[in-house]
Amino acid sequence: MTKLWANQVLTIARLEVRKAFLSKRGLWVYLLALFPAVLFFGHGIDTQWKRKQWSQQVTSRSLVESVQIGERAADVRLKLGKPLRDFEYRRRRDGNDESRRMMEYFDGQRRYQFHFVDDLLKDKSDQALASLEEDTQVFSGMFQYFYLRLAIFFGCLGIFMNLFRGEMLDKTLHFWFLAPVRREVLLVGKYLAGLVASAIIFGGGTMLAFFAMLWALDPADVQAYWQGPGMGHLFWYTASAMLGCVGYGSVFLAAGLLLRNPIVPASMILLWESINGFLPAILQKLSILYYLQSLCPLPPPVDKNMPAVLRLILAPAEPAPAVWAVLGLLGVTALVLWVASQAVRRLEINYSTE
Amino acid sequence: MSNEIIFTEVSKFYGEVLGVNRVSLRVPPGITSLVGPNGSGKTTLMNLMCGLIHADQGTISVRGISPRNPEQLMRQTGYCTQFDAAPRGYTGYQFVSAALLLHGYSPAEADERTWRAIDRVNLREAAPRKVAGYSKGMRQRIRLAQSIAHEPDVLILDEPLNGLDPLVRAETIALFREFAARGKHVILSSHVLQEVDVISDQVILIANGSIIAEGQIHNVREEMTEHPSQFLIRCPDAAKVAALLFAEDHITEVRLHADRQGLLVLTRSRERFSELLNQIVLGGQNIESIVQADANVDSLYEYLIGGGR
Repeated sequence: MTKLWANQVLTIARLEVRKAFLSKRGLWVYLLALFPAVLFFGHGIDTQWKRKQWSQQVTSRSLVESVQIGERAADVRLKLGKPLRDFEYRRRRDGNDESRRMMEYFDGQRRYQFHFVDDLLKDKSDQALASLEEDTQVFSGMFQYFYLRLAIFFGCLGIFMNLFRGEMLDKTLHFWFLAPVRREVLLVGKYLAGLVASAIIFGGGTMLAFFAMLWALDPADVQAYWQGPGMGHLFWYTASAMLGCVGYGSVFLAAGLLLRNPIVPASMILLWESINGFLPAILQKLSILYYLQSLCPLPPPVDKNMPAVLRLILAPAEPAPAVWAVLGLLGVTALVLWVASQAVRRLEINYSTE
Repeated sequence: MSNEIIFTEVSKFYGEVLGVNRVSLRVPPGITSLVGPNGSGKTTLMNLMCGLIHADQGTISVRGISPRNPEQLMRQTGYCTQFDAAPRGYTGYQFVSAALLLHGYSPAEADERTWRAIDRVNLREAAPRKVAGYSKGMRQRIRLAQSIAHEPDVLILDEPLNGLDPLVRAETIALFREFAARGKHVILSSHVLQEVDVISDQVILIANGSIIAEGQIHNVREEMTEHPSQFLIRCPDAAKVAALLFAEDHITEVRLHADRQGLLVLTRSRERFSELLNQIVLGGQNIESIVQADANVDSLYEYLIGGGR
């Protein structure tokens, strides 16, 4: 019997997976999944372009670093030569009219900005054209604030709510209910189809964004990163994305069986996931996001100027160890799927009320 | 294990709307027609049998299996629903073969059975095309092919002859008869009463969610003593025969046909009418044919629910 059920699950998944991938209703899911990759790729192109442009006018680092605060703009220009960018402006401050000027130089890796007030150097700063450390921080923020909380959340809503609710709207669910298949087996088969599709879309999207982040960086830095924590980071980000599909998929599959309007469950779950950090530890463990953030290799950057309430919402709760995070997430998923199986057993075909 | 379909005190409500109310039925193998006006509860009964909806009260057994056990029920049951849609993007072939794969048939066997079922409904050429592009009649046929592909013991068909051309309709009726001849259940619903009359071994008349009569059409008719039975008689001297018939008190009405060679007779006693006709024939009158005019579902319905169709 178990073999028959396994075969039926695979048959259902095989029949459904194409629909989950190619549903016209779900094309926006691809946009969500690929958005970070496009963003990082665009950033990479910009970096490459700047490197190419600025490399025509490289200034020696030692020369740039020899410039001292208080030097006159004309002297700096005489010492370093023509800057990449040079612009002047006037600023009115406390009734005084200041003359300001900014000159920018590039040493092949970093760009240097010199800020003059009334022709005297007041401040200087430098920044790498492309920084691995900075980009991995940006990636971490993007992944935890956008990908986990929004892209995978809403992507799973689109894919998994459609598995049953979409069939109700298309008036085709009876096709499955008239097959000699236990409702629970049907549920698992459809869930598996949604899971394969979403895990490939979002797992693939994560990997693509990760590679897009790295491609424009200094090859030596990238090689060192791969030899260090890079592979682990890639693995855990991808695993988090896929486990996000496991968790949110089960939640939205159940929601599709229990509720007609996707906006209601989406709002409620989003709210639950957002306020989870404020809840007691036991309730935090009933959140998908809690486990997913526990698996992320880097904490997301938090802006010091961010309002305190927003910082609390975005700050991850005390993370669980990776093994417990995975087991906890699978436990929550199993619980939600059990609730869904009870709902699907009671489900009736009544298209006129849809 | 029972080989009947048994409803025991089954009720189903859609919110506050009545679907069927305290239905008790025993349906033996053969062709059984559910007849009733729109909204009378025919489709509800069929959906209950197949587990697409669940009874609020009462129990249902389809050849010993509960509709709450689709795994076993649908192995022996095929349901050709009125729902027109197939899963998105499915071709006719996929529509049939996917269902067979879910039965657990190997791909090779599913393929063979798919083509056999598609051939039985004459849809081979259209099979590779998407169901969404089919005409109403073709969709009806592909649904029929799907419902018979696994050779079920119980074939349930909701308005199965709708949209079929006369040739396909005749072939489909022949298919039902073939199923019934093998001791299987064929349960169908129809609005076309004459069709039901010709096809069915028995009828179930339903109105407002309640069964108002069931059984073989002739038996049902005989049960309804408050309505006179109607007979059409063809004879050369119809006026003379009419005069002889009128002499009897159980004859309530006699109408002479315009060609004066036919009569419509209404009698309250079929037995006494039969004896009277024997006497008339023995008396030398030539009676060419006698046909009961109201032993059909049209008349039954007219009598039972007062033309409420």
